[in-house]
Amino acid sequence: MPMSDIRWFVKCALTAILLLFACGLATAWFGSGLELPATTTSDGTLTTLNRYVRGPTPDVVLVGSSLTFRLKEEYFSTPGVRNVALAGGSPVTGFEIVANQAHLPKLILVEMNILSRATDKALVEKFSNGGKADPLFFRPVRTAVAAYESWNHKPPDHAQVALALDRLLKQPPSDFDNHVYVDRAFDEMNAEDPTVAAGINVTRIQHLLSAVERRGSRVQFFELPYSDRLEQSRSVRITHEIVHNAFPDPDRWLKIDCPRSELRWSDGVHLDERSALIVSQSIDRALVSLPGSM
Amino acid sequence: MTFTSWQFGLFAAIVFGAYYLPPFRTFQVQLLVLASLVFYGYGQPELLPLLAAAVVGTYLFLILALRNRRIWLPVGIAFNLLLLAFFKYKFLFISAATGNYTGIATIDFLLRLPLPIGISFFVFHNISLLVDLTKRKVNAPDLTSVFLYIIFFPQLVAGPITRAEMFMPQVKPKYLADIPFVEAAKWILVGFFFKLYVANNLNEMTSYMDFPLYETLRTQDRWLLVFLYSYQIYSDFFGYSAIAIGFGLLFGYRLQINFNLPYIAQSFSEFWTRWHISLSNWLRTYLYIPLGGNRHGALRTYLNLMIVMGLGGLWHGAAFSYLTWGLMHGLLLVAERPFLARFDKVDWAAFRAIRAGFVFFCVTMLWIFFKLPNFDHALSYLHGMFIPSTNPNPPKLFYDLALLYSFPVMLQHLVPQGRFGKSLQMIEPYLYGAMAALMYLEAGPDTAFIYFQF
Repeated sequence: MPMSDIRWFVKCALTAILLLFACGLATAWFGSGLELPATTTSDGTLTTLNRYVRGPTPDVVLVGSSLTFRLKEEYFSTPGVRNVALAGGSPVTGFEIVANQAHLPKLILVEMNILSRATDKALVEKFSNGGKADPLFFRPVRTAVAAYESWNHKPPDHAQVALALDRLLKQPPSDFDNHVYVDRAFDEMNAEDPTVAAGINVTRIQHLLSAVERRGSRVQFFELPYSDRLEQSRSVRITHEIVHNAFPDPDRWLKIDCPRSELRWSDGVHLDERSALIVSQSIDRALVSLPGSM
Repeated sequence: MTFTSWQFGLFAAIVFGAYYLPPFRTFQVQLLVLASLVFYGYGQPELLPLLAAAVVGTYLFLILALRNRRIWLPVGIAFNLLLLAFFKYKFLFISAATGNYTGIATIDFLLRLPLPIGISFFVFHNISLLVDLTKRKVNAPDLTSVFLYIIFFPQLVAGPITRAEMFMPQVKPKYLADIPFVEAAKWILVGFFFKLYVANNLNEMTSYMDFPLYETLRTQDRWLLVFLYSYQIYSDFFGYSAIAIGFGLLFGYRLQINFNLPYIAQSFSEFWTRWHISLSNWLRTYLYIPLGGNRHGALRTYLNLMIVMGLGGLWHGAAFSYLTWGLMHGLLLVAERPFLARFDKVDWAAFRAIRAGFVFFCVTMLWIFFKLPNFDHALSYLHGMFIPSTNPNPPKLFYDLALLYSFPVMLQHLVPQGRFGKSLQMIEPYLYGAMAALMYLEAGPDTAFIYFQF
């Protein structure tokens, strides 16, 4: 190989190594302090779980699927609520990760709607036992965007949040016509038979429940409301039957009382923002009424 | 085996290591053929016999056509087109949901086989082989060389569709000292960078264009995503072609350049000399010119253009969307043709920029039919671009991230190479080093190359 070619390769390799070294150094120095903007479900999941395993242990934690993901933490008036629901994931994945931490929250709320999905073992492995999940190198472009987004869109303070939520509640329920989405969701959920997967998940939940309660934590189950049509779908009916047969004690279930006529599911399955707020407030009330409440 | 997998890295390193060893020098072609079979059979071993049958069949027709071109050349071409039609268009005539199609075990077995990866590409190689070699009345090449031309692993799955008359003379002993290492490294690095950094990251956003997700998008995001898809498909395919050219060079074969800054084209005819150049050349040589090209008056030329572009669209798949995409391109070629000479005389930078912008806009809009092969979905997406969105919970897209991931495509197209050529040459190794680091640090989630489906 000619000398000029060798020089070319040396310059190229040195540049790459220097950049990798700089990013590695920055990661070791700053850790993952900046939350990367989540452009995908997977990004969002990592952000949620990173925040949970690095922050102080909360009093109350919600685990669930994308249904629970819509219940934002600022909707709750109960202090110390942390939502680690995983969009596109199984409630059992979140439950496993919470149960595998050194410190447990006082109360774990487990969504029992979507139990047809398998546990994400890789995610559980990655975030269990202290969650040493730091990447070797940070992502410079993502981090730059995250820094810009944090600077440009500062999170609102408590008073601003309260005002915005109050305004949201005063609005009438959305009149968005979602029948196309409901029909499609109904067809999908009607075609699905969750018996096997839900059976496996329920067994795992029973084990996790015993394990965390032995360590002094408390577990309550909850089911988020679906639209009337979806409640009739095969998947929802079978899951409901399986979980209530497995956990028949009514005291194990959080009673979510909210005006169904006020609830809307813009995409047919997930609660819209106003409905999620209403449901969150119902959960707040249910938590207060629990024996020995927080 | 895909270029972006670690298995491919290991495979390429082993083959490269063995290829230039003196004991293997006399078996270089055989080694590459064997390696290509391993490469192809790694994911779909059940399709290896089919690939072998296609090559051996084409070879037999080649031998026969060298004796009597008039009879055996059309038969050989028909054999290949039937092969392509059988696998690609079978579901136009039978239902994919049916398990038992005809009741005849052998035919049902063939019908159940998945679409062989790269079939559109190796069938075109076969036809090129038959036409080129019989035209020049050369001596019949040996079967191993024919195998290598058709299944050479860098180009097997998604091209470039190298013409036989360009490839076959290159089949000879190769020496390590002749390899243009820097040139090969540049192609490979830029290819991986465009695939991993640009295409895979943009894919995360453009996946919202799929049905039914696009229904949740805001109107302005629909527009944005169409342009992002335009950048993505270019980066994905340019990336693949660049990697193929780079690996071709490492093994001593120069493959055809497939892209030449297509988004600065000032006319649609120029676009097709810059986009998927090897397919355009193939269609021109083996379809447009035999149909009469532009030798029989304006109307016949327009008809030929429409036929070629329509068939070019259908080559991508048996869907009305692909046909529409091809015909719309044909229509644009026909519409601009009477004005081209006059437009080319206007030597005004702003006018040239407007022309390039218009061509880019039209090409980008037509990508919708490519992204959404279901015609109803494509129309529904288009319709949503012109009405306000009512969905109260649209997904959030980060525009700054979209810009940063698209930036290399814009830079590549908009920086005048001539003006900055000298300074670019000086910083070139550093640029490629930065690209290497960035494609590792910022690689988007792994996704298959878009053109693998064709």
